[in-house]
Amino acid sequence: MSHDSGHHIIPVKMLYAVIGILVFLTVLTVALAQVELGVFEVPVALAIALTKAGFVVMIFMALKWDNRVNATILAVGGLFVVVFITFILLDTEYRGDLSNTTEGTIMDQQRADQAMEGREPERADIQFNRQ
Amino acid sequence: MANPQTNQPAHVKHYFVSSEQQFDAAKMGMWLFLVTEILLFSGMFVAYTIYRSWHPETWMALSTALDWKLGGLNTLVLLASSFTVAMGINQIQRGNQKGLLINLILTFVFAGVFLVVKYFEYAAKIEHGLLPGAAFDPHGISHGFDYATYNVPYGPQFFSIYFVMTGIHGFHVLVGMGLFAWITWKAKNGAFSADYYTPVENCGLYWHLVDIIWIFLFPLLYLI
Repeated sequence: MSHDSGHHIIPVKMLYAVIGILVFLTVLTVALAQVELGVFEVPVALAIALTKAGFVVMIFMALKWDNRVNATILAVGGLFVVVFITFILLDTEYRGDLSNTTEGTIMDQQRADQAMEGREPERADIQFNRQ
Repeated sequence: MANPQTNQPAHVKHYFVSSEQQFDAAKMGMWLFLVTEILLFSGMFVAYTIYRSWHPETWMALSTALDWKLGGLNTLVLLASSFTVAMGINQIQRGNQKGLLINLILTFVFAGVFLVVKYFEYAAKIEHGLLPGAAFDPHGISHGFDYATYNVPYGPQFFSIYFVMTGIHGFHVLVGMGLFAWITWKAKNGAFSADYYTPVENCGLYWHLVDIIWIFLFPLLYLI
């Protein structure tokens, strides 16, 4: 029985560095949530979360030094998640638009209609202006 | 310690060529399982994505109903537990059984802290009727804030998604505590060494995945 298992031992210093980065990114994502980012709100939050997940996967889970087959398994799993979300969104965001000849998607029109209905008190005026 | 028939260490099953091959096979099986876990949660993330894209105003209004301080605290607790798992594996790779044991106990404690914080969060939601589906009935005043203002359209759907996602994640934390209790017990009895620590490695991988799921849940539910 050899005493060296042959596995890559991640230096303790690196583990400390990674937990430091992860805590910093957590503070950063909380701080950025207090700022009005508009359309960038979701992409920024997702980018920080993906960076954190990347550090956990590569260093804590040691995928960086691991057998490549495990990285391939994870990549294929990630690909399926992307396909899953993309195709569902293609349906739910553009439902009925194949034969739609008006400007904007049907979802956009429904949202505009809902916004109109939301303005109950001035409804008569809106109706009047619309026609 | 060695198996007299195969001339391999006792922990190596007869159908493996070496300890290394057995370790790699177990680990690959774990990664395959983790992908099925990712796909399980991705179904819930898809539900989240659709409802958010359909009703962004509901998400804007109700993400403030969740306590980002408690959610943030739990994020730090889970990150710390991931760190102790990685440290534990570092220790046993160097043959330090005591170092492993301490880190495994710390991981178990952090997991417990996570669930205690989650209990207080759920208790506050239940008290004020912030519940999924038909049970959704925001009421009551706390710290001068009237919870009835959370009674917005599609609020029931928001809390269905909140409770299902955090609930299934919380269940994974509970399962993780069971796993860590088991390997802590084994570690205490000196079952692991630099040559054999496969259960620690695989439970660790599972635990890191549970941490990663929360890394996504926290900003998506509590912050934005």
